Amino acid sequence: MSIDLILFLILAVVAVATALGMLLSKNAVYSALFLVLNFAAIAVFYLLLGAPFIAISQVTVYAGAIMVLFLFVIMLLGAETLAPSKVLRGQGWAAFGLAVVLVAETVYLLVSRHAAVGVIARPDAFLNTMDSLREIGKALFIQYLLPFEVTSILLLVAMVGAIVLTRREKGG
Amino acid sequence: MYTPTMLLAILPEILLLTLGVILLVVEPFWKAENRRNAGWLTFGGLLAALLISLLFARPADPQTVFGGMLRYDWYGFFFKMMFLFAAAATSLFMMDHEKLGRRGESYLLLLATTLGMCLMASSADLVMLYLAIETTSIPLYVLSGFMLDDKASTEAGFKYLLYGAVTSAILLYGFSLLFGFTGTTNLDTLGNALAAGPNMSGLVFGVILLLLVGLGFKISAVPFHFWAPDVYQGAPTPVAGFLSTASKAAGFAVLLRLFFAAFPGFASWPSILAVVATLTMTIGNLLALPQTNLKRLLAYSSIAHAGYALIGVVAFSELGRASVVFYLLAYIATNLLAFGAVMAFSRITGSDDIKDFSGLSRRSPWLGLAMLAAFLSLAGMPPFGGFVAKVIVFAAAVDKGLYVLAIIGILNSIIAVYYYLNVLKFVYLYRMDGENEEAHPIPLTRPYAIALVVLAVGVVLLGTLFGPWFDWSNLAALNLF
Repeated sequence: MSIDLILFLILAVVAVATALGMLLSKNAVYSALFLVLNFAAIAVFYLLLGAPFIAISQVTVYAGAIMVLFLFVIMLLGAETLAPSKVLRGQGWAAFGLAVVLVAETVYLLVSRHAAVGVIARPDAFLNTMDSLREIGKALFIQYLLPFEVTSILLLVAMVGAIVLTRREKGG
Repeated sequence: MYTPTMLLAILPEILLLTLGVILLVVEPFWKAENRRNAGWLTFGGLLAALLISLLFARPADPQTVFGGMLRYDWYGFFFKMMFLFAAAATSLFMMDHEKLGRRGESYLLLLATTLGMCLMASSADLVMLYLAIETTSIPLYVLSGFMLDDKASTEAGFKYLLYGAVTSAILLYGFSLLFGFTGTTNLDTLGNALAAGPNMSGLVFGVILLLLVGLGFKISAVPFHFWAPDVYQGAPTPVAGFLSTASKAAGFAVLLRLFFAAFPGFASWPSILAVVATLTMTIGNLLALPQTNLKRLLAYSSIAHAGYALIGVVAFSELGRASVVFYLLAYIATNLLAFGAVMAFSRITGSDDIKDFSGLSRRSPWLGLAMLAAFLSLAGMPPFGGFVAKVIVFAAAVDKGLYVLAIIGILNSIIAVYYYLNVLKFVYLYRMDGENEEAHPIPLTRPYAIALVVLAVGVVLLGTLFGPWFDWSNLAALNLF
């Protein structure tokens, strides 16, 4: 057994366990923390697959920025333990049915297309170095320069809009 | 990689952004009573941007810049000039609005949404296009809900946001499927790849429907029009005017370029659009008939006008494209004039019910004249721009043998004449009950006077000296892709 496979098996257990923990814990803070752990485990999967850029952005963007924001919101609202909200009648069964359909679809595709696609080949050594990062940077700042800059305008405007809509006028 | 053309291609956008940043930095230092000057600054800046772009940034042969993200051509340029003009007029209308006029943020949001529209008109890539659409929409959501203490405005903003978010998600799904089928996001290669690939007309038909949902929302075509009346009525009137003109024109700009570039070989979409155009004209006009609120009436009329313009798209020819561009030009000038006149009136009287317009021609003859020009042009009467625009659109339909569609369009314009003239009946024939109208004048402030005069002259010019305007529309339509 190669070291990669051992790592993969350990991480797979961690990932599934934390995902279940997120779903099953009653306390919203625990759920959020389980999700952080889940993101971290998946980030290591990406590293194993030779995608360091995605791994790092998974950690910084998802586990770092978004989940910390989530935790703040949960704690500020004091929503750690919400009373069980009303669910629609039959919602559980519908969700179960849809999940079964999804799993069946995935299994069918894996089995039927396996011969045609085969196991996706390991990425070559080039991708596993930081060179891929350089390529992403080049694409982002040469080909996609304009969309990149427009995103920054979009964010600025969204920020101004949020302030406009939430600010209370003085004396008004 | 870098060429000076790249900067010329986005010169209007650069100027808009510069103006926005200046506004954002300077405005907080002004005293509260001078804040209204932000409107003059915006107006002046937009005019300067318009002139500088016209002088220096005229495109030569069409080319793609920024790695295929934008197309630098007459089509995009012509639309950009329209958006800058509409934004300049809107900034004048905003100045004397009770809530918008003294807030620098409202002008900044106007500039940002104009920037997004400019990018929409010239995008040649799905990634760029989607970002441009969002840059257009998000400031408009905020502007619609700008009057926080007004329930109707908040509702308008929220409703617009919800509809916008859902339709933009559907549009994005369509984009993702297109990328999945062809492996490219570039509009030029996309059309070829779709045509060369295996026959997937069923799937492509589905994609066309998805795209139609997203763009149909932008141009408020039936059956994606439900948001329009509530939003136009609730939003601040200058914003409603801008929504119904520039935002709609931007939607058409994308619709034309996307459908002509990506699906030239699929004969199914003109027939879908023909159905949409018929429904849009008919339902818009029929629902406009019983309206008693002028802003709601203008909302339904603007739905109907989207239908007329769609006829030109259905014609699927060069004349058809030119007719759409010209129609939008005339429609922008006319509808801004209509909304501006309504606003100048309701700012003093606090009402936009049609019956309160009684005796307007005596209370303010010039405002009455502006309403006359706007509504006759909307109705499609010579010598105003709306007449020529309608003639060219119907001509494009007849030219391609779409007689039924042209006849439906003409019947609809006859229905529409009724409710437009009905408004003018109140303005010119009815008197205020037992009052002396001279005692209730409607003073126009300077920004309104400037904007209304320029727009009224524009509407007349478009209807009389239409030759050069049509030549420019034609030039724009030639270079579509």
